[in-house]
Amino acid sequence: MVPVTGGPLTALPGTVGAMGVLLLRTTRAIVRTPLAFGPELVSQIAFAMRVGWMPLVLAAVAMSYGPAGIQAAGFLNLVGAIDRMGGLFSITVIREFAPLVCAIVMAGVAGTAMCADLGARKIREELDALSVLGVDPVTNLVVPRFLALIVVTMIFNVYALIFGTLAGLLVAVVNGSSAGVFFHSYFDNAATLEVLASFVKTAIFGGIIAIVCCYKGLTAEGGAAGVGRAVNQAVVLTFLAIGLVDYAFTQALLALSPELSATR
Amino acid sequence: MTTVRDGLERLGEILDFAWKVISRVLSGRVLAFAGESIRQAGILISGSVGVIILLVFALGLQCGIQGAYGTQSIGAPSIAGAFTAVCNLREVTPYAFGYMMAAKVGTGIVAELGAMRISDEIDALEVMGFDAITYLGATRLLGYMIVLPFVFIVAIGVGFLGSYVAVVWQFGRVSSAAYLEIFWVFQTPLDMVFSLVKGMSMSAFVILVGCYFGYNASGGPVGVGTATARSMAVNIVGIHAIGLLSTQLFWGSDPRSPVGG
Repeated sequence: MVPVTGGPLTALPGTVGAMGVLLLRTTRAIVRTPLAFGPELVSQIAFAMRVGWMPLVLAAVAMSYGPAGIQAAGFLNLVGAIDRMGGLFSITVIREFAPLVCAIVMAGVAGTAMCADLGARKIREELDALSVLGVDPVTNLVVPRFLALIVVTMIFNVYALIFGTLAGLLVAVVNGSSAGVFFHSYFDNAATLEVLASFVKTAIFGGIIAIVCCYKGLTAEGGAAGVGRAVNQAVVLTFLAIGLVDYAFTQALLALSPELSATR
Repeated sequence: MTTVRDGLERLGEILDFAWKVISRVLSGRVLAFAGESIRQAGILISGSVGVIILLVFALGLQCGIQGAYGTQSIGAPSIAGAFTAVCNLREVTPYAFGYMMAAKVGTGIVAELGAMRISDEIDALEVMGFDAITYLGATRLLGYMIVLPFVFIVAIGVGFLGSYVAVVWQFGRVSSAAYLEIFWVFQTPLDMVFSLVKGMSMSAFVILVGCYFGYNASGGPVGVGTATARSMAVNIVGIHAIGLLSTQLFWGSDPRSPVGG
């Protein structure tokens, strides 16, 4: 991996291209024998879950209780339709907030840590030493992180859904609705395709986080500020990519499946 | 239990450090380095505002399509503006602003100050008789907080533009005038002030956390990377906590919507 030089704008196309190359090499290494990444994969999954669970629970509850819960409950109370709260939640949480919260937390907590870790190995020349020994950094370091982030982001989506829904239930109950009414409306409006799309989206987010953070870690340059700078750029690029992909994905999903926009 | 105690200790250290920085701003000691404050503000404008605006625009588009499809599902695409006004002004722009402040500005401060710490530049400053917390921390806090309210207002505008593009141009089920009428009815200047307070609280938190982790970095270049990653984790938790509390405080008891009596 050779870092792309130039200003932030002139280097962007080259950086995106280099990340594409890294993605190709990673996917090729996943299916090619020998599959030597097992133990590293397990330790990365354990690592990502350990650092991420607490921010994830807090973020999922905050995102659902605040933006989706309080704002919507206030409005629905005014129009006397607080019983529709569950249906609203099954759409907003499954479609939008759960994947977004997972992506933000995994990028901010696990992605940055992985980038710092790889950057540290790069500037201590451990990666060069590995290459000399004939160990490919992509096969042995990037592939397990790529798979681990995809898996953990998808697992965390389950928890984001659960805690987001619980936060919605809390708002509904606080505003004078009842749990039975909330879940009745919730499951009336829940669609299998919506849940499926939610998990596909989180998988894409996990892959983006892994590729961007690993690329920036592998191309960290020396100097005192090198690794810190790499983490900084990695998280900025990840957030931008998440925002843009989220828009494109949701738009494509809603346009291709108009049945999702029906109120039941 | 040790992790809980470590976490609380870390929180106490951050609060202690944050108060040192804030007190140096409030007591006016930072004014000895007013030029440095203005230079930091200039760096923020030229270096970070662009990406902040870009993320806010992307999430503004997102608000727009959610509002457009959501209101269409109840057969009233013309009230998409009610959704996007609340979505943009009250929630999504402050969160997007906070996320990008943490990603771009917060981690940038850690990388910069951390590099200065491990190459002993901060010690050199203190040997020369400079108060390092004032010169490095308080100047940044002051400089950024002068500029950020204006950046935030621009960001709100860009978020509005994103929703307008998504609802009126892209989705196209509502005319421009009908969209804007509902859109402006569902917000008041006071909502804007609340949103500004929310965004600025997140920003101040991010700046102070960044200064703390950068100022206390140790362990060589690797330590700077680790500190940068850690600061991001703390920021994620803090931004959501601030967002939740301020939503409850500002809009929890009164939805502030022009509906009913």
